[in-house]
Amino acid sequence: MGKKTMIALITLALAFVIYPLYQSYNGSETLKDVGQYYIDNGVEETGAQNLVTSVVVTYRGLDTLGEVTILFLAASVISFFLSFSKNDRIKSRSIRSVTEILTTSTQVLVPMIFMFGVYIFVNGHLTPGGGFQGGAVIASGIILMFLSNPRFKLSHKVIQFVESTSGIVFVLIGAAGALMMDGDFLSNKIPGFGFGEVGSIISAGAIPVIYTFLGLKVGAELSNVLGVFVESQSEK
Amino acid sequence: MEYIIITIGFALTIFGLYGILSQKNMIKIIIGFSLFTTGINIVMVAIGFIRGGTAPILDEAGKEIGKYVDPLPQALVLTSIVIGLGVTALMLAYVMKLYQDKKSLNINDYKDLKW
Amino acid sequence: MVGPIYIIAIALGLAFFLGFFGKSLKDVSAFLMLAGLAFMTFISGQWLLAFFNGSVTTQEIFTAGFRPPYSINLRMGYEEAVMTTMINVIGFLGGVYMFKRLKEVGNSAMSVFIVLIMSLNVIVMTRDLFNLFVFVEIGSIATAGMIILEKNSKSLQAGLKYLMATGVISGLLLIGIIFAYYFAGSLNIDGIITAHVGVTKAGAVAVFLIIAVLVLELKPFPANGWGLDVYQSAKPGFGAIVSAATATAGLYVLYKVLPMGGETWYPYIVLIGLITFVGSNLVGTRQKDANRLLGYSSIGQIGLVMTVIGLQPILGSKFSFIAFALLLNHYLAKAGLFWLSGIIKKEKISDWYVLRKNKALLILFVIFIFALIGFPPFPSFFGKYELIMSLVSTENIWIAVLILLGSFAEGIYMFKWLGDVLKDEDQTEESLNISWNKFIPIVIVGVSLLAAGFYSTPYVEGAHYFYFIPLGFIVFMGLIDFLPAYVKNTLSIAGMTYYSYIIYPLVEGDLMRTIFFVIFMIGGILTLIVGYNKKGKREGFYPVALMMYAGLATILTSDSMFGFFFGWELMTAGSYFLIIRGKRSKPHAYSYMLFSVAGAYLILLGFAFAYTSAGTQDLIALKDIAVYTTLAYTLLAVGFMTKTASLGLHIWLPGAHGEAESDVSPMVSAILLKAGVFGLMLLFLYMGQQTGETLLFVLGWVGAFTALVGNLAAVFQEDAKRLLAYSSIGQLGYILFAIAMMTQLGWLAGFTYVINHFLFKAILFIVVGGIVVRTGTHNLYQMGGLLKKMPFSFVAVLIGIITLAGIPPLSGFAGKWLFYNAVVLKGWYIQGVIVFFAGSIAFMYAFKLIHSIFLGQLKDNHRNIKELSPAILIPAYILIGGIIYFSAYPQNVLEPIGNMLSAYFPATVDWSGDGLATTVLSYWNGNAVLIIIVTTFILVLAYLKLITGKTTKLEQFNIAYSAERPFRPETTHVSYNMFAGLNKAIGFLIAPGITRFWKNISDMVLDLAGFIRRLYSGNGQVYAVHIIIYIVIFYFISLG
Repeated sequence: MGKKTMIALITLALAFVIYPLYQSYNGSETLKDVGQYYIDNGVEETGAQNLVTSVVVTYRGLDTLGEVTILFLAASVISFFLSFSKNDRIKSRSIRSVTEILTTSTQVLVPMIFMFGVYIFVNGHLTPGGGFQGGAVIASGIILMFLSNPRFKLSHKVIQFVESTSGIVFVLIGAAGALMMDGDFLSNKIPGFGFGEVGSIISAGAIPVIYTFLGLKVGAELSNVLGVFVESQSEK
Repeated sequence: MEYIIITIGFALTIFGLYGILSQKNMIKIIIGFSLFTTGINIVMVAIGFIRGGTAPILDEAGKEIGKYVDPLPQALVLTSIVIGLGVTALMLAYVMKLYQDKKSLNINDYKDLKW
Repeated sequence: MVGPIYIIAIALGLAFFLGFFGKSLKDVSAFLMLAGLAFMTFISGQWLLAFFNGSVTTQEIFTAGFRPPYSINLRMGYEEAVMTTMINVIGFLGGVYMFKRLKEVGNSAMSVFIVLIMSLNVIVMTRDLFNLFVFVEIGSIATAGMIILEKNSKSLQAGLKYLMATGVISGLLLIGIIFAYYFAGSLNIDGIITAHVGVTKAGAVAVFLIIAVLVLELKPFPANGWGLDVYQSAKPGFGAIVSAATATAGLYVLYKVLPMGGETWYPYIVLIGLITFVGSNLVGTRQKDANRLLGYSSIGQIGLVMTVIGLQPILGSKFSFIAFALLLNHYLAKAGLFWLSGIIKKEKISDWYVLRKNKALLILFVIFIFALIGFPPFPSFFGKYELIMSLVSTENIWIAVLILLGSFAEGIYMFKWLGDVLKDEDQTEESLNISWNKFIPIVIVGVSLLAAGFYSTPYVEGAHYFYFIPLGFIVFMGLIDFLPAYVKNTLSIAGMTYYSYIIYPLVEGDLMRTIFFVIFMIGGILTLIVGYNKKGKREGFYPVALMMYAGLATILTSDSMFGFFFGWELMTAGSYFLIIRGKRSKPHAYSYMLFSVAGAYLILLGFAFAYTSAGTQDLIALKDIAVYTTLAYTLLAVGFMTKTASLGLHIWLPGAHGEAESDVSPMVSAILLKAGVFGLMLLFLYMGQQTGETLLFVLGWVGAFTALVGNLAAVFQEDAKRLLAYSSIGQLGYILFAIAMMTQLGWLAGFTYVINHFLFKAILFIVVGGIVVRTGTHNLYQMGGLLKKMPFSFVAVLIGIITLAGIPPLSGFAGKWLFYNAVVLKGWYIQGVIVFFAGSIAFMYAFKLIHSIFLGQLKDNHRNIKELSPAILIPAYILIGGIIYFSAYPQNVLEPIGNMLSAYFPATVDWSGDGLATTVLSYWNGNAVLIIIVTTFILVLAYLKLITGKTTKLEQFNIAYSAERPFRPETTHVSYNMFAGLNKAIGFLIAPGITRFWKNISDMVLDLAGFIRRLYSGNGQVYAVHIIIYIVIFYFISLG
């Protein structure tokens, strides 16, 4: 029996283990209690018409804080490599030439991509999308910039400033809830942030603010990861 | 419809796992991880699915249908995707660094620690 | 009070804030990191304090202003307060410890570290499954990052393996979580528990996946290669965090999630925990790399706590104490050891002798090792004792046995390591470079271990704060270790005298205990007097010597099995350190320790049976053990016999006693061995003749053969101290034989031997030890003719061997007389003949000893040798006084003993007023015998002196070699191979079969460990396969 066959058998054994889960799945006609609760009360309680957003930012805000932290960690850990490899990094790295089409279209597209990203996270409480999606779109603009100009260097200072500021704002808004709202960390009902009219941009309390900073933070972190990857390359 | 989705989800999970366990090239292993987590994410989406439901956005269009899918699994998937992204990025960074060290992507070449 | 939610807010706010500093201001950010960790510690600590005072109740912390299950909630209860405080304390201390390295790597490293500690807090507090998943992932990624603080390819590989393993298991966790939601409609742990999702097959699989993954996070053996690599390759400073903090959080999560599956899951957790504890420690026996060894030990200890978690339904009200004691013990000791490793910076455990350069660190190392193995006064001792008692009393004997086996395996490598540290040749000049930030955390955890042991006392039945009094004195003696030896000697003697005075009322009225009290305490003081002979500081001697005596005193005075065991282990620890002080003692001290630990575990099991039977810790529980009667008494007897060095269990003794320092030999020989005898006597009295008939019969034979083999081996020794050591084995054989007869005469003989052996072996070891130091050799054939140089020593040895050989008029004869009477009355003729034969062999080595040392020709290099110092001779002559008194007035001692024994056995000996002892067979009067023989001796001596007045003296070199120069000069010494003929005739009896037997067993264990550890191929992918196989097997065992 070959090694691959054995691994296939082991994988199949695991499939057998989780097969009862698959077998038990028979779709759903009705929502679970929790889901139904969000549909019934979500808009009223959070002021956001996109319930996924109200779950992500408010009901399960702690998860989201954790999520941001994971990106932050990944970026931080990858940046260790930079500090480690400073000495052995080879300065001259071969760079492929870039076509005219790419550079030109980049100049046109990047501002639009950025704007699109901002649009996504600013409207996160109204339409599909939000901080993460918007941040990812922004980072895709950065990729384009790297592609069109291999010598492009991100300013770590700017990136870190954006990252830190938005992170701290998120935590502060969360803590503000805990301080003012009788211990409710990450509440979006903090004084100064009205619920407004559901469906308009200025609504849903702190959600748009949080999502804006989340978007900036995610964009900055993803760009940071990309930047470090590019910088710590050392092709001989 | 939802059966197709969950079948695809589980199948991707298992195939991804097979890739993780059988491929020798570390980049391919990481691709295996991507498949694996994607499969799981699809399963999560399927779990939140409600027959005839629409996206849980309570705007005019949504209210017309009046039946929504569960927003909770969707929120979880969002988190899970980001976590997967973080892990993948980290793995790639480690592999890149290892490659710079030994110029090999074969996982069998990295057995300095054992027993 | 500051809410626990601020732990998250502070940590994350700070982590993000540090980003502002970029690469500058590292000092400020390092300070901020520590301040943040300190504040987190403060938050959890104040909650702990509030719970401790009872001023708060369990708090639910809601987030986002909604109630669960709609939003995530955290919980801060007593348990959570304890766990988060533990995590934060180690986080803070670890931050202090890794201060420099973190600063070097930069602000991002500090952020990662503080986030890691925060995530562990949330893992403990959260009540939401998905939130748990998120923060477990945060923990994993932060861990993967911290691994590569050690900047090399190995740590990168370990990091990748770790990411792969956690990636696979967290994916499966996610599947489990989403289906738990599908079935229960909630992500809240309490909601899922009440929904009982496990009743359907699919629901059970979902729960299975969650539990299996949380188990895998704890790195169960053998699916844990990735975890071991982390321990091995990461900075030891970070290894401490993984071992102490991460494991604490992981164990707590398992504990809080387990109710989801209901009662049925607990047994599987026990099984997994046991396999991990035993397997990991077994494989650890082959490990040479210090950090990886610590990894094996960590995983093992975590497995033990996992077992306890699984035992929760069985342990009932004792669960909290046992689990907490074991967890805390592991947490403190392992953090300390990893931190030590960070200072030592040596990969190989055999290179750790550099630790000796710093006494404080050495002591801390010793504390950590002994805490891990479960010696008093550390919390694990209390925890393990309670655990074994509870397990056996609930009929879970096999679990208890496996736990003890795992502990023993851990002892195998831990004491190997300790021996290397204490005794290996120092091969380097380099000094240890210790900075304060690394030193202080280690001191804190070391002191906490001691304190934790002290505060464990009220939780264990039979434990008293009283036991800690001598320990306090020992610590004091340790602190004044810089003073010269004579000062410390005086203080020790004063301390022991005072302590004897305090505890005397406890033994007063109990004759048997009084006799052993005299042996242990008075004997102890006398042997300490010999210490005045030593110059310099004698670093480390007094604390350990006092520890042994404290243990002996506790054995004697305790009224509970717990107290007895406490004393027993204390004595073992003290004597181990005494023995290992000898120059070539490393292997002997090692085997002594292993036999002692194994013996102690047997005793522990025996006690547990007694406890099960009687339901009390009082020593009286040993009487009439009703469950597993034979097994229980056999275990106890064999356990005690490891200390009396009976045949089969004796192989440690000759080396341990022979190589020990000159005044340690009498301590461990004349005094320590009697602890085993005391145990056996206590046991036999409680057991009674009827219950133990078969056992006693077997022990009688064992005693007889021990006497024969011990004496025979003594005859063939060329080494003076080993001769005495083997003689001890033989003498202890007599004692075992005598008391196994279970008659009044037998026990009288036994007591006589106990007293005699104490007296003459102390004299002989004190004097011969002194002579060995004076002459500079152990070998008898390099001595000779010392009679004129050391007349006082000669007289002492002469009296010693007369007593030993049982020649009238001294008390040895009393022993023999009682003994033969007893044998004949009992009817054990064949065994009696063997013992009689052994007794005649004793003449030979007694003769060899005195002849080779004092008679014959003086060696050239001993021409200027002087008599031994008064510090040696005075205690010896005090003991001689004891022999003379006991010989002249044996009835003063033996008559009360006889009366005491008549409570247990029918009286067979009669004391008529004037010291005449009469049995049905014969009569004997010690006083008269002494007078007659001494008078005769003086008369004969005077006559001989008269008729030999004109002898010529033989000059030293007045011999001829027949013109041949001998090939090996020592072979011409009369003492060399003195009894060659006898050796030819019956030497086969002492062929080293038993040593070979134990050697084979140890080889088998090591081979097995070597075979199993090939699983750890080093390939990260293989480890992922292990994980999947583990899950599949676990599935088929639990649900299949």
